Amino acid sequence: MINAVLVFNNNGQPRLTKFYTQLVSPRATPRTTADSAPDTPTHTVTQDTQTQQSLIAQIYRLVAQRPASACNFLPLPPLLSQGASSSATGPSDTPTQITYRTYATLSFIMISTSTESPLALIDLIQVFVESLDRMFENVCELDLIFGYETLHAVLGEMIVGGVVVETHIEKIIAGVRAQEGSLGKRKAVQAASAGLGRGALPGLGAWR
Amino acid sequence: MDKKATALLKLIYLEMFGYDMSWASFHVLEVMSSAKYLQKRVGYLGAVQSFRPDTEVLMLATNLLKKDIVNSSIPNMSLPLITLPHIITPSLAMSLLPDVLSRLSHSNPVVRKKTIVCLYRLALVYPEALKLAWPKIKDHLMDDQEDSSVTTAAINVVCELGWRRPHDFLPLAPRFFELLVDSGNNWMAIKIIKLFATLTPLEPRLTRKLLRPLTNIIQTTSAMSLLYECINGIIQGGILDGEDSLQERDEVATLCVEKLRGMIVMDADPNLKYVALLALNRIVATHPTLVSMQQDVIMDCLDDADVSIRLQALELAVGMVDSDSLQLVVNRLLDQLRRASMSANEAIQSAHAETEDLSEGSPTDGPGADTLVLWPSDYQTEVVHRILDLCSQNNYSEVVDFEWYVAVLVQLVGLIPPSEPEEIADQDSMTNSRMNAALRIGTEIRNVAVRVKGVRLEATRAAESLIFVDTRSHFFPTGSTIGDGVLGPVAWVLGEYAEYLLSPKRTLQSLINISNVSLHPRTVSLFLQAIPKVFVRASQNGKPGDSWKSEMSLLLARVVEFLEALAAHPDLDVQERAIEFLEVLRLAAEALHSETQEVPFLLASVIPGLFMGLELNPVAASAQKKVVLPDSLCLDEPFSPDLPGLFRNLDSSAHELSTRDVIQDFYNVPETASTKQTLEFTPVDAQSHTSYQNFPGDASAGERRKLERRERFKDDPFYIAPSGESSGTSTPFHEILNTSNGEGLDIDSIPIVDLKLEDEPSHSANLDRSRSRRVPLSKLAVAADETLETQIDNSKPKGVTDGQPAPKRSLLQVDSSSLDRLALSKGASQMSADEGDTDMIKAMQQVEEVRLRMQRASERIQLEGTPAEGTLIKKKKKKAKKNVDEEPAEPIVRRKKKKIKGPEKESDN
Repeated sequence: MINAVLVFNNNGQPRLTKFYTQLVSPRATPRTTADSAPDTPTHTVTQDTQTQQSLIAQIYRLVAQRPASACNFLPLPPLLSQGASSSATGPSDTPTQITYRTYATLSFIMISTSTESPLALIDLIQVFVESLDRMFENVCELDLIFGYETLHAVLGEMIVGGVVVETHIEKIIAGVRAQEGSLGKRKAVQAASAGLGRGALPGLGAWR
Repeated sequence: MDKKATALLKLIYLEMFGYDMSWASFHVLEVMSSAKYLQKRVGYLGAVQSFRPDTEVLMLATNLLKKDIVNSSIPNMSLPLITLPHIITPSLAMSLLPDVLSRLSHSNPVVRKKTIVCLYRLALVYPEALKLAWPKIKDHLMDDQEDSSVTTAAINVVCELGWRRPHDFLPLAPRFFELLVDSGNNWMAIKIIKLFATLTPLEPRLTRKLLRPLTNIIQTTSAMSLLYECINGIIQGGILDGEDSLQERDEVATLCVEKLRGMIVMDADPNLKYVALLALNRIVATHPTLVSMQQDVIMDCLDDADVSIRLQALELAVGMVDSDSLQLVVNRLLDQLRRASMSANEAIQSAHAETEDLSEGSPTDGPGADTLVLWPSDYQTEVVHRILDLCSQNNYSEVVDFEWYVAVLVQLVGLIPPSEPEEIADQDSMTNSRMNAALRIGTEIRNVAVRVKGVRLEATRAAESLIFVDTRSHFFPTGSTIGDGVLGPVAWVLGEYAEYLLSPKRTLQSLINISNVSLHPRTVSLFLQAIPKVFVRASQNGKPGDSWKSEMSLLLARVVEFLEALAAHPDLDVQERAIEFLEVLRLAAEALHSETQEVPFLLASVIPGLFMGLELNPVAASAQKKVVLPDSLCLDEPFSPDLPGLFRNLDSSAHELSTRDVIQDFYNVPETASTKQTLEFTPVDAQSHTSYQNFPGDASAGERRKLERRERFKDDPFYIAPSGESSGTSTPFHEILNTSNGEGLDIDSIPIVDLKLEDEPSHSANLDRSRSRRVPLSKLAVAADETLETQIDNSKPKGVTDGQPAPKRSLLQVDSSSLDRLALSKGASQMSADEGDTDMIKAMQQVEEVRLRMQRASERIQLEGTPAEGTLIKKKKKKAKKNVDEEPAEPIVRRKKKKIKGPEKESDN
């Protein structure tokens, strides 16, 4: 199954993070985090987001190193490889593959277990991007920022709970249109979010 | 509300950047319950991104979710369906299951496919869900009229479930087969092939059936992903490694390898190269010859511009190399390393010149073509490791020319990339799972020197060249830890085989150079051990006479000076060795000052005598465990049959606490050895103590508290027992000896097994074997590890309990282990006949499960009036009828058996 879908731009700023499996909380496995996390367990959720951030950072570092001609498979970053067993035979619950693909300024990453086919995942990313392209008409990074909801909706039509449910672009588009087109108020909400967003959101990158 | 939704949307966006939004969970819930769809969607998105199973407001969400699932509009109802997988908890799953199940029969395929996946995630946390959902999912799967995307979703789910309980899905194989051949949907075909790969090991007949269509697909398909998955499925399904050597099988293997070669050669696509190498890596275990025929291609991949591809090729190279190609491969890798270190130097220079961060920009615009790409140092380290792996595998069976190998090792020392600073920080990393590359090279030099007598001279000379102080800076740049790793074993070689040294004096002077003091303590102690040996060797050179004497006393004085510097070394081991040798050498110095012209007796034979002895041979790491346990030593039997009585006696007098200490130590021992009857007495004993003995101010109270604490912590791996007490629970054997001594057991009466190190029957046998295996060309014998050839299987130490440690979980890993235990309706208890405690535990769990299940079923019947259990059984019968030839009515019998077994087990306890 797919454990996570990430999108970030060339500077490592996330544009989409979706984790289909919970990050292992420090309380569940005291061993893995005992030496690295001195925080009290009451801050589980904070740590959770922090672990996500450091995972994204690690993956970004790996992606940034790679030339454009390299293949689309990443070695496991340190955060993920600590629990992975070396036996690559039969499938298991451990995420073992990271597939990425870069389009212009954006990198799409899929973290998955060995039950997914690596080549199919590359195609899946392609389908995802093509669907986005259809939704936004010539998609660019800014579209993903302002169409944040739509972005999630597209992904929701393709992957549910880490399992691929749809690979037909037509059906994905139809699904998202059914959600958004059904109500006329869509424009209002979007305009509101975009109007305010134009002032606030682009500044986000500078904060980090 | 509109404002709130917009604010929430922004908050979700911020959360993505790492800002905590758990405080807003109630607001998320508010927006979720909004009547407007778009606001609701924002709310659900917030739930997906921020809720965790332990979020408290989830309890309040249950009703909302129930309501939304049965909503009439499709977008509305799919919101909870796609949200549930992220937030599901067992209790939530239990209460929502009926509602989600009802969605399976919805008229819209979009809802159905999402429901199927949602049910899968429900089942992960709440396995019971699968029992009810599976028959319905199966119906959708079997239905030819079903929408194709629903079938695909179902196949995806089955594929996820498949590897956990392959037995349950075996009866569906014909349908999968049909889908594979007829559907023409590549996405689905890939998943089905994946599924078959897990099924074929269970059903050998499937292999034959599958072979033809798979071969057909391989030959005809244009989709590379499908082609690759076919090959992968053939490999993983074990179709290639059956025991009977079918003609077909070899043909398929050849076909696969041919296709993979095509993927590497024909396409410039690096992805295909990578996956092809991945697949070849899997084939190489069973068909090494086939793969090594593709050597040329693989060798090219070793020089690929992509690290991932290189690493795969490297791994493959280790698998396929034989004695002919070894030198070729290693030389190629060495070249690569050399180029890398050269370009690294250049890069540093150019970086200095341009003050530009090279690692940030894309490496291809670095100096020159892509041969000068900067490789990460961990890749270089990996290459070094692989070279060592290559050469040392199977006790050097592939190495023909050991002189060449020694030269390679010396070159490697200069090519190790500078290690990361964190490695310096924790020195224990050397002893960790993977040894640090430098230490490994040193160890390899030592290994070769010990095992291969023929090149001992060369190995020692090589070691000598590494140790000279004046050249050392060439090999080991200042500030790196490489020297520490290499020099230790190297120094040992120098001392042990001092007779081969080119110039012992120069070596000695390098050994006692004052800069050595700053090396790692372990290295220094190895140095110390080597110094007197080399000194003896140096003293035997030259004619005894006045000049010799003065030279020797000068040397001695220098050695003594060096040792004195170490006599106050912070490391105790170093200190002890330094002082010991210091005293001996001072004696030697005194002897030299005497007026006789003869070589002093002390120098001529006493000190050399310290180091002359038997030839050292490598001993297998497991040899210690094979030492036969003496008959009279029984580790399981308690020393006193009346243990509780003993403790009762002890309770009466507080004075005897010191003796109790000893017994307590012993008392911990059987516990780790898992004898259960003594275990039960522990708490009783401890409590009876605390009741009347814990007076404040009592002199023994401290002692008692300490004991109690130890009792509490003895199973805690993070607690280290105070060093004064000999009661590390990890050394039960040692303790038994202690306690047995205390009770007056004569240690001499324990028979000691003759290890027969002198005769070395096993050793020579091993040697003969390795010789006979060798190519006649090579004249060098490699000594194998010495070990005892006893077949007694007491290899498992008694202190280690049989229960395996809880498997380490990786980040992001979903825990599906609960599914493993779950039996789908037809495939009831698949209990394999394990022996021992695990069996019992399993049985207990199953009893518990069955009881719960029955309880729930009865509840359900009362509540809903629909006999859930009844429909299941009916379905099963139908199934049995359908597949009479495959599994004649077995499931029913099995199930009955299990039900009967339940109460029985309970009555036992």
